Amino acid sequence: MTSPLEARSLSLNREGNNVLDGVSFTVAEGEIFALLGGNGAGKSTTLLAFLGFLEPLEGEVLVNGTSVHGDVASARSAIAYLPEAAALYGHMTAYENLDYFLHLAGKPASRDGLDAALDRVALPEEARSRRLQSYSKGMRQKTAIALALLRETPIMLLDEPTSGLDPVAIDEFHDLVKTLAQGGQTILMVTHDVYGACQVADRVGLLRHGQLVGSFSAGNGKRIDTETVHAAFAEREVA
Amino acid sequence: MSTISRIAREEWRLWLRSKVVVAAAVIVTVLLATTSILTINRVAEEQSQRLEQQVAAEKTFFAQPDRHPHRMVHYGHYAFRPPPPLAMFEPGVDAVTGQSIFLEGHRQNTAMFADTKAAADLGGFAALTPASLYQILLPLLLIVLGHALFLRERESGTLAVMLAQGQSGTKLALGKALALLSVIAIFMIPLIAVAAYSMSLGESGLAALSLVSGYFVYLCAWGAIVLAASVILKQRSVSLGVLIFAWLFAALIVPRLAINASSAAIDAPGKIESDLVMLAEQRKLGDGHNAADPAFQRLQAEVLEQYGADTIEELPINWRGVVASYSEAELTKLLNGYAENRMNLEASQSRIFDLFGLASPTIAISSASRTLAGTDLATHHRFLRESETLRFNFVQSLNEIHANELDYETDINRNNDAASSQRAQVNSEAWQVLDEFRFGPDPANARVSRASLSLGVLVGWLLIAIGVIFMAARRVRL
Repeated sequence: MTSPLEARSLSLNREGNNVLDGVSFTVAEGEIFALLGGNGAGKSTTLLAFLGFLEPLEGEVLVNGTSVHGDVASARSAIAYLPEAAALYGHMTAYENLDYFLHLAGKPASRDGLDAALDRVALPEEARSRRLQSYSKGMRQKTAIALALLRETPIMLLDEPTSGLDPVAIDEFHDLVKTLAQGGQTILMVTHDVYGACQVADRVGLLRHGQLVGSFSAGNGKRIDTETVHAAFAEREVA
Repeated sequence: MSTISRIAREEWRLWLRSKVVVAAAVIVTVLLATTSILTINRVAEEQSQRLEQQVAAEKTFFAQPDRHPHRMVHYGHYAFRPPPPLAMFEPGVDAVTGQSIFLEGHRQNTAMFADTKAAADLGGFAALTPASLYQILLPLLLIVLGHALFLRERESGTLAVMLAQGQSGTKLALGKALALLSVIAIFMIPLIAVAAYSMSLGESGLAALSLVSGYFVYLCAWGAIVLAASVILKQRSVSLGVLIFAWLFAALIVPRLAINASSAAIDAPGKIESDLVMLAEQRKLGDGHNAADPAFQRLQAEVLEQYGADTIEELPINWRGVVASYSEAELTKLLNGYAENRMNLEASQSRIFDLFGLASPTIAISSASRTLAGTDLATHHRFLRESETLRFNFVQSLNEIHANELDYETDINRNNDAASSQRAQVNSEAWQVLDEFRFGPDPANARVSRASLSLGVLVGWLLIAIGVIFMAARRVRL
């Protein structure tokens, strides 16, 4: 069976630096796969490769079994992408941001549809008509998550999705991600939050200096053991 | 709404919510409105003044009493160059060439400046005109508005989000281009209004439309250059710096370089310098006031032979009139030779200057603008030629009257007493020899044809910039 996301011996250079080196993994339908790693490990680069923004030096990335560089448009239409910095427009309100980006995606939504998504991420109603420049980081992140939800794509790529969220919002987000996965969405998230990754992911991959150096999974509905992953993460980071 | 127009609309939302952009737009609007109103008023006033002065000069000439015809040669006449209707937008060379000439016998006078408006220009700064605003300030505003059009998305990370929604770099660039195009369309409104007003004053629709089109292409070329920089460059500060330098280079440095280069390449002596050189040759031609000047001996022999006479007193025509006519013709031939040489050199300098349009779209539009408005050097040269023809014709007509209607003996005795002087006068009806002079711009198709090279250069600039945008946008990277 074809995996929604697959990296095959992926090597990638950015501005002369070898950022990814022979990375291979697959993410199954309805699975939550968390790529864990420190700064500069190549996590965000991996996501950008799946979106076709970066061309592999070697190997390839596939979305629904098709090489991304063979058909970037269908890869992007299948993926909702949540960038690290919740890159949205500060001069627009949440409604305006969502409406604009959904228009670009060719998936316009009604005001009720926008409200439903914003309700799911618990963005206060009074804030929705305010410009994002007055938002906290967490509120911006919630708006960006709402955009990813509204795309209703079979695949989600999440770059540090809980960055800026308070602990309650993080828990709510994890619940939301699990719900989405149970609904069949395939989720690849990158984070350096060991605890968060173990809380939400079905599998965790450890990325270090562009190489996938470890993989952890929990069977039988149990969670991945945080201590084990943390130990591996810390050991390898020190190494 | 299409994706491209939606991207453009969101750019407008940003501009309208940005106080800096709104402030810049207000300043430019006020400048454009003020300059347009002032220039329109000034040019309209000059136009009616010069027309009235031309008619008044003719009336004054015709109203002169009975006189000796040669006194009328020296009484002289004025030729005025009224500004064409589009001069209210583009005064062109008016400020540096003079607009009226005193026409008299034996001289080609220099064109004079308007006596009242010149003093304010003495500070060494060129007057702000609507054309100069369009040529210099509007590109700067396009740079302020557009230098970060694409870069802002890249720097804030929204470019990745936009592309991740399935949009191509080309579509994003087209959306940004449409936003900039709509700004340019708004910039064009005052010019369109002025062009329409000029048509109500008699300007040809073809010339007015060509002028509007020329400026539209010019601003589009700048818009495309700005957008290309924004797509290619990676940092907003670099983009702004590069574009400001390009603006300085194109709008301020190259035009001055072009002036220096054309002057250095072709050394064109001025009117005063030419006149000094010419004096020596002029002396060889003889003094037309002195019929006994040895320079006219050969002429005398020829005329005597032609009429079968032995002395000038026997001639059926007035020898002094013949000499005056011959002398004027010879002198004019000499003067015209120098004038044509000087004008040819100036035209060659102008052509070299125009070639710098390949290095600066500002030069290309300024050249096309002056030509289409009918305020260019070629039009001024035509004014000089036509006014010289007017001068030569009325002087020679008076010399003909001198030769044919006033006998030699009466003429040479005119200073004996008052009665002799009275007898040496001709009837003032004779002053009707003066032709009516109404100077206007060239026909529109001639102006458009003359401006076609500069307009073509502008189209070239636009196409190259568009090509660069498309190539860069297709390969856009984060």
